[in-house]
Amino acid sequence: MNGDMTPADAIQRRQFIKATAMAAATAVAGGTVSPLPILADEPKKRIEWDKAPCRFCGTGCHVQVGVQGGKVVAVAGDRNAEVNKGLLCVKGYHVGSALYGKDRLTKPLLRDGDGYREISWDEAIKTIADRIEAAPERFAFYGSGQWTIPEGYAAQKFMKGGLSNNHIDPNARLCMASAVTGFLATYGVDEPAGCYDDLDACDVLIMWGNNPAEMHPVLFSRVVDRRSRGEKVTLIDISTRRTRTTEACQHYLEMKGHGDLAIANGIAHLLIKNGTYDRRFVDSFCSFKAPDDENPSLHGKAISFEEYKKQLEPYTPERVEELSGVPADQIRMLGDLFGNPALKITSLWCMGMNQHTRGTAINSMVHGIHLLSGHFGTPGNAPTSLTGQPSACGTVREVGTLSHALPGGRDVSDEKHRQQAEGFWNVPAGRINPTPGYHTVKMWESFCTPTSQGGNIGTIWVQVTNPGQTLPNLNKLFNPKGEDKAGLEDKFLIVSDVYPTATTRLADLILPSAMWVEKNGVVGNSERRTQQWFKLVDPPGDARDDCWQTIAVAHELFTRGVDGMKDRDGRFLFEVKDHDKPVPIWEWEHYYDVNVDEHLFEEYRQFSRLKHKDLAPYSEYVKARGLRWPVVERDGQWHETHFRFSEGSDPYVEAGKEIQFYHSSTHDDRAQIWFHPWIAPAEVPDDEYPLMLCTGRVLEHWHSGSMTRRIPELSRAMPGGYLEINADDAADYGLRNGDKVKVESRRGSLVIPVWIDGRGQPPRGSVFVPFFDETMLVNDLTLDAIDPFSKQPDYKKSAVRISKVS
Amino acid sequence: MIASVVVTLEERAGPVQDIIDEICNLAGVEVGDFAPGAHRIPMVIDSPSANAIEETTRRLQDCHGVAFVDVVFVHLEDESEPSIANSPEGAHE
Repeated sequence: MNGDMTPADAIQRRQFIKATAMAAATAVAGGTVSPLPILADEPKKRIEWDKAPCRFCGTGCHVQVGVQGGKVVAVAGDRNAEVNKGLLCVKGYHVGSALYGKDRLTKPLLRDGDGYREISWDEAIKTIADRIEAAPERFAFYGSGQWTIPEGYAAQKFMKGGLSNNHIDPNARLCMASAVTGFLATYGVDEPAGCYDDLDACDVLIMWGNNPAEMHPVLFSRVVDRRSRGEKVTLIDISTRRTRTTEACQHYLEMKGHGDLAIANGIAHLLIKNGTYDRRFVDSFCSFKAPDDENPSLHGKAISFEEYKKQLEPYTPERVEELSGVPADQIRMLGDLFGNPALKITSLWCMGMNQHTRGTAINSMVHGIHLLSGHFGTPGNAPTSLTGQPSACGTVREVGTLSHALPGGRDVSDEKHRQQAEGFWNVPAGRINPTPGYHTVKMWESFCTPTSQGGNIGTIWVQVTNPGQTLPNLNKLFNPKGEDKAGLEDKFLIVSDVYPTATTRLADLILPSAMWVEKNGVVGNSERRTQQWFKLVDPPGDARDDCWQTIAVAHELFTRGVDGMKDRDGRFLFEVKDHDKPVPIWEWEHYYDVNVDEHLFEEYRQFSRLKHKDLAPYSEYVKARGLRWPVVERDGQWHETHFRFSEGSDPYVEAGKEIQFYHSSTHDDRAQIWFHPWIAPAEVPDDEYPLMLCTGRVLEHWHSGSMTRRIPELSRAMPGGYLEINADDAADYGLRNGDKVKVESRRGSLVIPVWIDGRGQPPRGSVFVPFFDETMLVNDLTLDAIDPFSKQPDYKKSAVRISKVS
Repeated sequence: MIASVVVTLEERAGPVQDIIDEICNLAGVEVGDFAPGAHRIPMVIDSPSANAIEETTRRLQDCHGVAFVDVVFVHLEDESEPSIANSPEGAHE
């Protein structure tokens, strides 16, 4: 109870809070949309409400954040938000508590022997600048889809436009890189054509290795809610293990790892064999492609329809059953559904198809069966990938914080693209390096290789992610940093974060960061929706914005005369003016004198028009609960786009075209339907390692758990890691619930308690371990084999063995 | 601690009043107004602690005829316990 409140006040206050809570629930239940009631009559202090997108996944739910006395005290689902219509998942309604774990980092810390000593921000910034100035080409920046758009844009400009260094990559490489290459290979441009509206319109929803009931629960409840209203929606789960999603589905198709490649081919085979493919759609809008084995590239080689048909001939339902484990009758069911033009079909996928050594292939193939069957371009007919982070789309894919990319879907290897970026950044011609930098796996491998053996990354600065827990094969890609005799004494790891993590454990310099509503932000969700919020509370102690940290280092280098930090006119790369007067935003006390986010966003917005991903002015996002790009101005109003490439919805489709893939890689407005053969996983069980390990997430924790494990309610609900094992396998090994087992792969080992069947009832011969628990690092075991095009690893298929620990 | 939820009833759950009667027996649950035939019912949970809120939410989920329990509002301050920031459970060890 607040110290200055009488018991009568407290009772009255409680009644007001209850009234607000009931009003919120009543409005959501009734489907009405209205502003959140304010505790206007509350005595003493009043709660101030403002909007923000949730900090966690890529769904992009909006929350109403209640602030009182400089602290977030309440959270409510935002009924004015189209994405969540007032609902929140268990993580979302606890998001405010993520700010208040007791061990927030509040001071810069520099390694000193086996411990750390507190240092000033001035010393920290100079330390980073020293490392970069000494060897700029050996510096790398590792971020994530949790970078806000301005943060990622600043990092991108600092590296590529300032240091002429392309060694910048995000953890999204581990998350959705194969979705990107799948979209590029199919449409010539990244990101989904459809949006969440498809979930309200589809007759059939197919989840390909996807568990939205736990990973994107608000989206999933949106579909299931339709059924509770009496609508007929068929839900199909294609997966290697059961999940909470399975429980709500009418059909569960249990497949072996890489079975999805065979299933997609099996559907295409049936569509052609039965004559149920959409001939008009294909003839009008599509071409065919296959891999070019002699000269492998993302765009492969053109093939004819007849060649495509011939390649598919072996993929009969019976052959697909052998390859995938899914009964032939269920393959026929899928073929019949896609062959029925009266049905509206939406496909969803996330990590199951992306964390896959043939991730580009399976992404392209699922797009392909939608195109082949004509289930594309109308509400409810869409192949849609989901993202796991709040700005994997907005920052990584659109700002392009990838080692080969420039903002706006441009490539460093393209001279014209470099010239455009150099123009927008006003930096000298030739500043941008034409050679792509290191992708994530290569970056960390180089960092963990001694310099004398060619390990030419010497310093990595990590912001907003936790690679010490989430990289695959940690014993190769991260843990050597902490080994005495690894020969890595000259390597230097800088980590900006909000809490101590598995990554800060090995850091040489730790920087305390602000998070979520402790700073301004703009992010982009899975459906092309760009969302904005303002800083609502102060960060604790000396914690500061990641974007400020980047700009402060850039300015320190500028003061030292590093040319890269100057533009063509000799001005600081991140100069911000207010009334024509430069504001010293590199000084923390002046950082919020102006809205740095707005300045960076407006500069970045120029890039967004290059590939028809137009963004509106910053001020439009202040007013909205997000807008889906392309956002174009007509009649003095800014209009978002629901369905790309479709006439009447996408402003860039020419009149009379119906469907126009205007970024077609074949420059003829056509999308590509790909054939790829089924190929076995990179590692399969054998006599030595007889079980297939799948890793993943759980409802209660977000990714590595560094935030959600500090929320008591979530931590209690799911306190620690576990190994799910099939009951029959457990009996064979003589295991009971809670027994500890040693799990070993060719790369590492882990001791972990057993949960027989667990939530997923894994099939015989397979086990599952979630990756949220930093005390049980399952990525010591996982494989670092990558997709040849997306460079994304497969976390779902590693061969392991287990033995009971007495 | 105060939270509000929307309880979604199953398609063929039987008489709504029977379900509501069962829910009303749960401590701290207050059922809001809803239209006849509605399948989404607003409720407030007023409990002395975060633990009790969790327990009540679980019990709601277990009630006959309940398909989903979606939380739409939570007041984070728990006046019966130390604040989250100072809680020994505020961070794992």
